[in-house]
Amino acid sequence: MALQTLTYTFPGKTGCTIKKEWSHTGVVGSGDLEILLEQKAQAGAVSVQVVTPVHGFEYIWEAVLKDFVEENQIGDLAVSINDNNATPFVVSLRLKQALREAGIPEIFLEREGEKT
Amino acid sequence: MTESLIGKGREAIDWLLDSGSFRENLVAGERFPADLGPGAVVGSGLLDGQEVTVLANDAQAINEKFPVVYFGVIGLEEAYKMALAVYAVREADRKKPASQKRPLLLLVDTPGNAPGKLEEIAGMNKATGAYQLALAEARMAGHPVIAVVIGRAISGAFLCHGLQADRILAMNPGFGTMIHVMPVSSISRITKLDIEQLEALSKTNPVFAAGADFFYRLGGVEEIIDSVEEIRPRVIRQIGEVREQKAEGKTGPMGRAALGNERGGRVWRSRVIRKMEEEYAEIADSYRPWRKEAYGR
Amino acid sequence: MSRQSFLGATARERAAGLTDAGTFQELAGPRDRLTSPHLPVLGEAVSFDDGIVTGVGMVRQHPVFVISQEGRFIGGAVGEVGGAKMVGIFQLALAEYEEWKSHGAQEDCRPAVIISFETGGVRLHEANAGLLAHAEVMDQIQCCRGKVPVLGLIGSKVGCFGGMGFVAAAVDVIVMSPEGRLGLTGPEVIEQEIGKEEFDSADKSLISRTTGGKHKYLMRDCNVLVPDSIEAFRQAIGDILEKPYEEMEKCRRIGSPALVKEQLDVAEWLADLAPSDARDVWKAMGNPMAEEYPDMDVEEFLTHAVRRRRGEQ
Repeated sequence: MALQTLTYTFPGKTGCTIKKEWSHTGVVGSGDLEILLEQKAQAGAVSVQVVTPVHGFEYIWEAVLKDFVEENQIGDLAVSINDNNATPFVVSLRLKQALREAGIPEIFLEREGEKT
Repeated sequence: MTESLIGKGREAIDWLLDSGSFRENLVAGERFPADLGPGAVVGSGLLDGQEVTVLANDAQAINEKFPVVYFGVIGLEEAYKMALAVYAVREADRKKPASQKRPLLLLVDTPGNAPGKLEEIAGMNKATGAYQLALAEARMAGHPVIAVVIGRAISGAFLCHGLQADRILAMNPGFGTMIHVMPVSSISRITKLDIEQLEALSKTNPVFAAGADFFYRLGGVEEIIDSVEEIRPRVIRQIGEVREQKAEGKTGPMGRAALGNERGGRVWRSRVIRKMEEEYAEIADSYRPWRKEAYGR
Repeated sequence: MSRQSFLGATARERAAGLTDAGTFQELAGPRDRLTSPHLPVLGEAVSFDDGIVTGVGMVRQHPVFVISQEGRFIGGAVGEVGGAKMVGIFQLALAEYEEWKSHGAQEDCRPAVIISFETGGVRLHEANAGLLAHAEVMDQIQCCRGKVPVLGLIGSKVGCFGGMGFVAAAVDVIVMSPEGRLGLTGPEVIEQEIGKEEFDSADKSLISRTTGGKHKYLMRDCNVLVPDSIEAFRQAIGDILEKPYEEMEKCRRIGSPALVKEQLDVAEWLADLAPSDARDVWKAMGNPMAEEYPDMDVEEFLTHAVRRRRGEQ
């Protein structure tokens, strides 16, 4: 069965993109994935493309990615993922790691500061 | 189906050379011990009156000292013997102009490199690597190197005995010719795709399927030969062509890379390399200390 | 000083860690999305770098062109794109050599190539293209002779086997850690050919004794043995590149008639010795403490190790 490409777009926060222009995290090992994050001005939207050999988990991907976008209040971002059978837990973990390495949006940090 | 040529490495020497001219174990005046690496035949002879060196596999021979070497396997002794034969010609012709450097003719019928414990302890990778380097050196020095796949040209054994040649000719698959890394059945097992599906896929993409035709589309072999009688005239013609085209870089692995692009079987390679060149051009100056003013000397 | 393990490092970590801090620039990196065009149809996951990180960095004054293979991605196997990236690195290095030569050819800034191997050789999913790429890499190594030093580093999980074993054999200098593995035929295939009694592929210490860094060092198939850290490998690269080019060339194991004759003598000597284990070879070379070698750290091992004598076994 051929590889499957899934695409999603989530509404996000305008201007809340990553600090670096782009950033890459992870290795496409068995049960793992790589994530490429890129700044992309698209009215706050977060667009995601997932390439995976696993079929039939479109909704789980959607749920995991939606949580990621909402929890981190990001936007104007393109996310490209090459997956090799990673569990949803590993996907979440790697997404967080990717965001950390790419530089968390300034606005988000300010908001964190307001809370304290 | 024509008669299979597998195991006919020695006969092929006779089809190729001027009748009765082959002198086994004699290469550019250097004599090789008769009992060294029996799986490999090295020697010299005449082809259309011009002196050539021949390197062939003997699938009938068994190497008593290295028991994993039989049926055309290239073992430690075989690979080093072949490398030394190449160097013998290279050294003897070192001072000759390129037009007079003697051709090296490879008759290919080998199922693999020797897989054994002793081989790994000794470093079999060095032996086959040594033969490849010797061939590449001779080729770059101007010796025409022509390979003819008469039987099996399998994976690493083809890498060392064949793929460093200026030109590679292969008998058509009707002769039982086998060129591959692994048969489709094994690829099927490893990739967990069924054979029918793989075979169907191979019709549109030649990159994994077994067979001379697929290598042809990838530029991995230059020509397919359809009869035994054709071997000799084709090799003679190729020697002439190679002498003319070598300087333009149209032969050897790089020539075949261009051919793969032309034939449409390997088009990604050149795109990747071009991309790297473009990207490096942008940043190259920061990696050139000799251009920096601060580099005071 | 970073003591990060080389064994567990990713290809990208190795590439950056082997060159001077902050100097490594990836070429044909993930953002170029040069994934294999052949894997999707077979349902095999793809990677933006196709399992090989390529780029350029500095080691002291030397521009160093880097190839770093990723064993986690399909065992580090080489296909069309990854193979082309390797060839591309050599072509850039050779072009840079001409540039260097035309600007005074100062030895201390001669361009070099380093390859961090982690591979079983040809990628079966695109086997034919992978095989042809191997031939091109061998061609390029020969092109580098007398011009650009090529250093091979082996200390990653997968080791260096198959067709890439040839490539490693062909480079100028080999640096290994004891954890590194270098060979041609993988252990499973040897077991299949000669039987489990002769060679048990599940026996990790047997594999280590036969293909590991210590054995290769004793046989002179590895020139420099270092402990398992990126820093140690980086230090070794710097030390090697500081030597005159002629000294680097002297590290070669093959590539001339004299060296090939020497290797043939070694093969004959081993056939006569008929060792049942690599330890027998170590003992025969004058290592009475051979039994203890596998457990020694690099420093202690090097104080005891008696290597193969040159050209007179």
